[in-house]
Amino acid sequence: MGGRVRQKAGAVILVAPGVVWLAAFFLVPLAIIFVVSLGTKDAAGHVVLSHLGLQNYVQATRPEYLPAFANSLRYALITTVLSIGLGYPIAYWISRYGGQRKILLLILVMLPFWTSYLIRTYAWMIILRDNGVLNGILQALGIIDSPLVLLNTDVSVILGMTYGFLPFAILPLFVSIDRLDQNLVQAARDLYASGRGAFLHVTLPLTMPGVIAAALLTFIPAIGDYVTPDLLGGAQTTTAAKLVQVLFTSGRDWPYGSALGFILMILTLGGTLLALRSLRRETFA
Amino acid sequence: MNDRSASHGATGRPPASCLDRTAAPAPAIDLELTFYRALAARRISRRQLLETVAKVGPLAALAPILAACGASATPQPSAAPSTATTSNPPASPSVAPPSASPSPTAVPSPEGELNVYNWDAYIGESTVTDFTKATGIKVHYDKFPDAETMLAKIRSDGKGAGYDIAYPTSTEIPGLIADGIIQPLNLGLIPNATNLGAQWQNPGYDQGNAHSMPYMWWTTGFCWDGAKIKDNLTSWESLWDPAYKGKLSMLDDIREVFAVAAFRLGLDPNTKSETDLDAMVALLEQQKPLVRTYTTDDIGTMNGGSAIIAHAWSGDVYQMKDDIPNVKYVIPKEGAVRGSDTMVVTSGAPHPVAANLWINFNLDAKVSAANTNYIGYMGPNAAAMEYIDKAILDDPTVNPDIALLDKLVELLNLGTDLDKYTQRWNALKA
Repeated sequence: MGGRVRQKAGAVILVAPGVVWLAAFFLVPLAIIFVVSLGTKDAAGHVVLSHLGLQNYVQATRPEYLPAFANSLRYALITTVLSIGLGYPIAYWISRYGGQRKILLLILVMLPFWTSYLIRTYAWMIILRDNGVLNGILQALGIIDSPLVLLNTDVSVILGMTYGFLPFAILPLFVSIDRLDQNLVQAARDLYASGRGAFLHVTLPLTMPGVIAAALLTFIPAIGDYVTPDLLGGAQTTTAAKLVQVLFTSGRDWPYGSALGFILMILTLGGTLLALRSLRRETFA
Repeated sequence: MNDRSASHGATGRPPASCLDRTAAPAPAIDLELTFYRALAARRISRRQLLETVAKVGPLAALAPILAACGASATPQPSAAPSTATTSNPPASPSVAPPSASPSPTAVPSPEGELNVYNWDAYIGESTVTDFTKATGIKVHYDKFPDAETMLAKIRSDGKGAGYDIAYPTSTEIPGLIADGIIQPLNLGLIPNATNLGAQWQNPGYDQGNAHSMPYMWWTTGFCWDGAKIKDNLTSWESLWDPAYKGKLSMLDDIREVFAVAAFRLGLDPNTKSETDLDAMVALLEQQKPLVRTYTTDDIGTMNGGSAIIAHAWSGDVYQMKDDIPNVKYVIPKEGAVRGSDTMVVTSGAPHPVAANLWINFNLDAKVSAANTNYIGYMGPNAAAMEYIDKAILDDPTVNPDIALLDKLVELLNLGTDLDKYTQRWNALKA
């Protein structure tokens, strides 16, 4: 009895710092954003909280904004699919064939994090622009005559985002593939499953938790990503995050910006829950 | 919410250090500055970055980049401006500043020190030391990399965060006055105000320059690569020319872009009329399919070849010349936006008398000319014209034809009417 109480107290002490951290730096700011999103602002742009209401949400659901939300969703989905599609074979290869070099290979996957994301995105700009590195090589080799238009397009945004989020997909995929008991695959082969069959009926279903984790770790930051679409995108690739940024900075309308940000967050949450449910059903059905 | 209202101030203003005619600073320091600006203002002179990387080698370049990365979160300790480069001990504080105009009769004795907060590399080479020599006032000279940092800092305590002098963009002045961040100038201490050109004596953002004095100015027109477009373009219509589809960039700046539409339609760029704005946004909707990108990095977009014609700030075009020798710039015949930076005294200035003397000193004809000659921006100082380098006076990018000056419009703070622009802008871009 006394032991259990002590155990409970110990658990509380261990959990407390994390809870306090989340409350102070996640829940409280979230609550502030929500309250601000119900407010108005004065001529100088100061937030006024005397007349709370839903006017900003009504305003934010303008049909004109839909293309930007659609862009955000489209880029996030394509990035997620590409990251998993590219990341799974890499994770699989490291796990199965990495041998003693597994740690080294994983460090290589994480190596890009050692350089600021902004620097790496600027590097993509230099590679992709019209007189950039890639066009220069292709033209020097005589493959193309005039530069390909890559920067400021869907291609550059998706490329940049996939590049940025790929490590987030590889790591959880690796963990789940590495933990897979190879005896199960062996058993399937013993029961005359082809290599493909064993993968589809044993490996893939059993590593689905890793796929789900990879999808979440990619999709959630991708849908709110502002830096990549802003730097690599162009006039035709505006995302919802950019609209929020405009409202907070040059638009000087924090309440409206908060409302738009909240809508984006609810969409992200909804999309995540839907994805989780469908993937779970697929996994455990 | 104290960000600039869509003007040149924050992201648009070119880092003036690029215009320095002095020997290049040590590569590492230059790189740090460059990268810092990129972080802070989301725009970078990639030419600078690349050149420096090429100079010092990628590995050596990496260290200062990372250092700058960490350091740049808080650029300078606030309220503790770094000490200036003055070797003179504070002398008798009663010495009046040199001036082309007569000194004021009753000069309150100035304080022995002064805290100045200005753009990096946006002042003459010896202006600070000259001021100290002339007045005995010791100057703590601190620099900011973008307008938003500066505004956030001087607004942080509501009275200037310990700085006496700051350099906000003119559009910020009404807001700074309304919020009590800056104090009225002691015009009796600033006799050199008479040196200002006629069009600067009574600007729309600050009647009679009661709270601010203009410092430097620039224009927003458009530029093109003369090697790829041979025509001599003169009208904003060129930014709607389908021939440039996908090779055209516009500034990522609400007010600047709407101003272009206003000039084309013969409307007021400071209009608050919904009808006007609907007409303007309709015109911009026509243009959007042609636009490669809306960006404040007009330099990188042009130098990178992604655009051959670009809505651009004059100072930025000045910096494109190294990469695009044939770059052309025009203030279109329909009119264009003029932007300016100002000098203000904060409401909590610890040294208000010295601050007013500083402003007066910088409005001196020779001092103002020395500032312009060093940084390559035109000042508003009519008396200074005879001391400005011919190369600058002859450069129509920096110093437009006098006949054009009447067509320049300064963007004004619109208060809540800015919402009408913001909503249409977001709908346009979405």
